[in-house]
Amino acid sequence: MFTTDLLRQLDKIAGQYEQKQAALLPVLHAIQEKEGLISPESEQDVSRYLGIPVVHVHEAVSFYHLFHQTKKGKCHFSVCQTTSCALLGGEDIIEHLKTRLGIKSGETTPDGKFSLSVVECLGACELAPMMQYNKEYRGFLNKKKIDELIDKNK
Amino acid sequence: MPNLTIDGQKIEVPAGTTIIQAAEKLGIEIPRYCYHPALPVAGNCRICMVEVEKQPKLQIACYTPVAAGMVVKTTSPKVLEARKNVLEFLLVNHPLDCPVCDQAGECKLQDYYMEHGQYDSRLASVKVKKEKKAFSIGPTVMLDQERCILCTRCVRFTDTITKTSEFGVFDRGDHSQLDVYPGKELDNKYSGNVVDICPVGALTDKDFRFKCRVWYLDHTKSVCPGCSMGCNIDIDWDKSRPHTEKKERVMRLKPRHNPDVNNYWICDSGRYNYHFIDENRILSPQYLDKIVEWGEAMERVAETIQSTKAERIGVLASAQLTNEDLFVIRKLFKDTLKAHVDFRVPEKPGDSDDFLIKADKNPNTAGAASILGAQADAQTIVQKAKQGELDLLYVFGHDLVKLFGKETVAQIAKKTKLFVFQGSNINDTCGYAHLNLPSSVYAEKDGTFTNCQQRVQRIRPAFFPLGESKGDWEIVSFVAGQLGAPLSYKGPQDVFDDIVKTVAGFAGMSYEKIGDQGMILKK
Repeated sequence: MFTTDLLRQLDKIAGQYEQKQAALLPVLHAIQEKEGLISPESEQDVSRYLGIPVVHVHEAVSFYHLFHQTKKGKCHFSVCQTTSCALLGGEDIIEHLKTRLGIKSGETTPDGKFSLSVVECLGACELAPMMQYNKEYRGFLNKKKIDELIDKNK
Repeated sequence: MPNLTIDGQKIEVPAGTTIIQAAEKLGIEIPRYCYHPALPVAGNCRICMVEVEKQPKLQIACYTPVAAGMVVKTTSPKVLEARKNVLEFLLVNHPLDCPVCDQAGECKLQDYYMEHGQYDSRLASVKVKKEKKAFSIGPTVMLDQERCILCTRCVRFTDTITKTSEFGVFDRGDHSQLDVYPGKELDNKYSGNVVDICPVGALTDKDFRFKCRVWYLDHTKSVCPGCSMGCNIDIDWDKSRPHTEKKERVMRLKPRHNPDVNNYWICDSGRYNYHFIDENRILSPQYLDKIVEWGEAMERVAETIQSTKAERIGVLASAQLTNEDLFVIRKLFKDTLKAHVDFRVPEKPGDSDDFLIKADKNPNTAGAASILGAQADAQTIVQKAKQGELDLLYVFGHDLVKLFGKETVAQIAKKTKLFVFQGSNINDTCGYAHLNLPSSVYAEKDGTFTNCQQRVQRIRPAFFPLGESKGDWEIVSFVAGQLGAPLSYKGPQDVFDDIVKTVAGFAGMSYEKIGDQGMILKK
């Protein structure tokens, strides 16, 4: 069940749309913001709240990679693997992260602190090699910058 | 109403008609996967693309409304090339193992490939394989995600027809997969229909999978006897190829399209209710546990009738019988002998919904009412038999043990001179009846049922009656012959023509006019 706070927030979002169902994506974002993931329970709640069969809520959640079905770490590295970044050393950054964190793409460290995702182009080739660090873009990456981020959050 | 030309043929159709519907009216079938006339249009498979003059790109026929003066080509080189390309895309990750696929023979992917594909593979990379092969998604249906082409017919079926929303397409790109919601099952009263609408081998029926190759099946048009809705069906039965060693003749039932009754659908209980056709049948006449000849059996009935009076004869007809059976029963027992005849036994109403499933589980209650009327009363007949006021009780199909209890039936067997059970399948009442007469099941009968809409519909015999069983009308005619009052009907059609002359509501009907879609009984 949604908390009163969250429900108030969702009502505000849903109120902006002529049809409640159209608010599916922003509602899911608001929930993920709060809970860090979209759990099966949340899917059921959203289904009831918006009047959409739960199977179609799950369609949206599984279609978009920005919705997480498992909890991500406090620091989430989404590293670009597309052309510009790859040419400028993106692959080395990814390898370095894998070794330092001891996890593969899509995984989270057992202490729940770090997650790694290898992603397609984030539309910031001018920053290559780059990644999305939680909600921010970080560019001109090198191993030192990565190490600093990891050490700071350990 | 816009006029348009399709493949050189002119046609006028109501505004809002789509190209695929207009073409259908001209008898031109445009290939389709996602399009289904009873479901909302999705427009995702792209196989139905056609060329419309003055439009630069091909259009999808399922979603493009016709316009005045439109000139459509469905087989131009551009269209054929497009179909080939769409097929190539659909087959990128589809397994090419038709020989081991249950859908082979009724697969649209296979059909259209033979018509429009037939290219050499240009694929160097390995096909994307799904984690699981065929797996169960509910009590009746199996899913093989690799064979799915994501047309979403099943998704739209559970969204708009059953409104149960079990199916969805999860993930994205070539990882997309059809599935039911995690932890849920496809378990509704109409789930079997998704197998019928699946154009490929993704959804298959557990009851039918690998039982028989579809090209060995023959199809007989019939009507489901499961309830008073009278959904139109095809009986798919094995033509007995020497290498299929099965004793079952009926392999499956499929809904047959009738827009006025069941549209394209049937319920699961109707769909899987066919095993009784080949199982647990009464195969020959039996008198007191001894197999006897038909002649001897009929002689016993005739003797009893001749040695008693009309008020000491009771007949329990049944709304499971055809109009023709019931009319012959009426002729002999009601009109000629003036015995007590009724068909309305105290049955508990079954489950029902507001779609196809009706609480009355008899296919011909309306027909029985119009032909037999209601003068005697089944409960009274049973009471009379129990109290020794009847010499002959003649029961058609009813399991009296289930309806009235063992005690009553044992009493009836003791108090009557002759207790006849005429039916297709063995039930508890057979053990008490003095004489058991084997009758044929609906799949072996020619005749008509009248459904709850008062619609008279044809059933046709798929195969010969099993063992020595005969049609109910034939057995009753046999009795009449033995009594020296022959009913000289040549067959059910002959009986029906007499019904038309005798029973007011049937006036003007004939087997030809009833056809495949039925005719409404006049009030």
